[in-house]
Amino acid sequence: MAYLLGTGLMALLAVVQSSLLNRFPFLDGTVTLILLATVSWALTGRVTEAMLWAFVGGIFLDLLSGAPFAVSSMALVAAVYLASLTEGRFWEAHPMAPLGIMAVASLVYFAVTMTAVWISGHPIDPGLALTQVVLPSTFLNLLLALPTAQLATRLRESAFPPPVTMG
Amino acid sequence: MSRSSSRALLALTFILIAGGLLVLNLGGYLQAVEGMALRPLGALQGWLSQRVSAVQTLLTSPADLATLRADNLRLEAEVARLERELIGVREQAAEAEVLAGLLGYARTRPESRYVAARVIGQDISPFIRSVWIDRGSDGGLQQGMPVVTERGLVGRVAEVYATIARIQLITDPQSTVNVRLQTSRADGALQAQLNGELWVDAIDQSASVTAGELVLTSGLGGAFPSDIPVGQILTVRKRDYELFQQAVLQPSADLEGLLVVLVITNFQPLAPPGAP
Repeated sequence: MAYLLGTGLMALLAVVQSSLLNRFPFLDGTVTLILLATVSWALTGRVTEAMLWAFVGGIFLDLLSGAPFAVSSMALVAAVYLASLTEGRFWEAHPMAPLGIMAVASLVYFAVTMTAVWISGHPIDPGLALTQVVLPSTFLNLLLALPTAQLATRLRESAFPPPVTMG
Repeated sequence: MSRSSSRALLALTFILIAGGLLVLNLGGYLQAVEGMALRPLGALQGWLSQRVSAVQTLLTSPADLATLRADNLRLEAEVARLERELIGVREQAAEAEVLAGLLGYARTRPESRYVAARVIGQDISPFIRSVWIDRGSDGGLQQGMPVVTERGLVGRVAEVYATIARIQLITDPQSTVNVRLQTSRADGALQAQLNGELWVDAIDQSASVTAGELVLTSGLGGAFPSDIPVGQILTVRKRDYELFQQAVLQPSADLEGLLVVLVITNFQPLAPPGAP
């Protein structure tokens, strides 16, 4: 059920990204909703779901883009995998951990998509892309990283409450 | 198998599947599936885009908006009509000079047919300048068709599905448009720079280009019809040691605030999108 709901949610987030968020850029960057959602879900420990959602969400993003198909999927899966590597580390429970993880995930996501777009023959100025797109988008993602992580944790606790052991 | 290695395997599997999809898409095998998936997504995009536009208009309009909006619409339409007429008259006068010596020459120009379409979304990738419109092959659109507004050239159809299409804007670095400067009659190639500026390149050194000069499509190369307004020259860069001079262009159409566009459907482009 979670997989099905997640797929619908990813489609909705992709459309919101295209029709709403891209109208309000900060320089040329915008919040990357699907990255925020999937990385935050991975941080709650539901990594398999997060990875599937990242894959499906990336497909929806690429359907609405002129970028090479399925590249966003690769980038999002890679970002979620990197986020999952933090599990079990001593600083995992630190309240600021989502900030660092989101910064790394955003940079990985943009590095992969930028490289793919460049390989497909689309000219890109790395300096301009960094200052106009990557850093502003990462900044916006960081602004929303903590509230999204909180929301994901609450959602996880209500949808999948931890088992209670007696005796 | 440990948890971390099983996750690595899962991530690798997804990435390999994505790679397979990429290859299939490059081969054109996913066109039908993409079309089917884009039908509901396009409908949802259109619905959301309308609501967002309505809210945006409400929030940015002044208090006595009904009267002001009506006045503004009327005046904008009037300005656009006068600009079109002015461009037409200037163009006819310039052409008349060129054609005066050619006895017996009569130029016939077929009337363009348009399909109006609403802009329902922008490209998800920040590295690609394109927009989605709510008309597709069901509405008679084909790849390569020119797209304009009442003010001037917007771009051309890059991808077409049944109900939606993607328009490559002239500000996309992959787009090239062959243009002609109205007063100096010099030809050039319009190319978007990576910083978003539009440059008219390959202008003959002997041409006397001035700021404010109007730029129109030349029709050379067969990708666009001729005489569509593209913009005005802002500044000129001319160096004696260079083969050509260059000029920065201000586009006529408001490419950042596109709401409705017109697709010219009776023009058959000779070159695919991306070619000049």
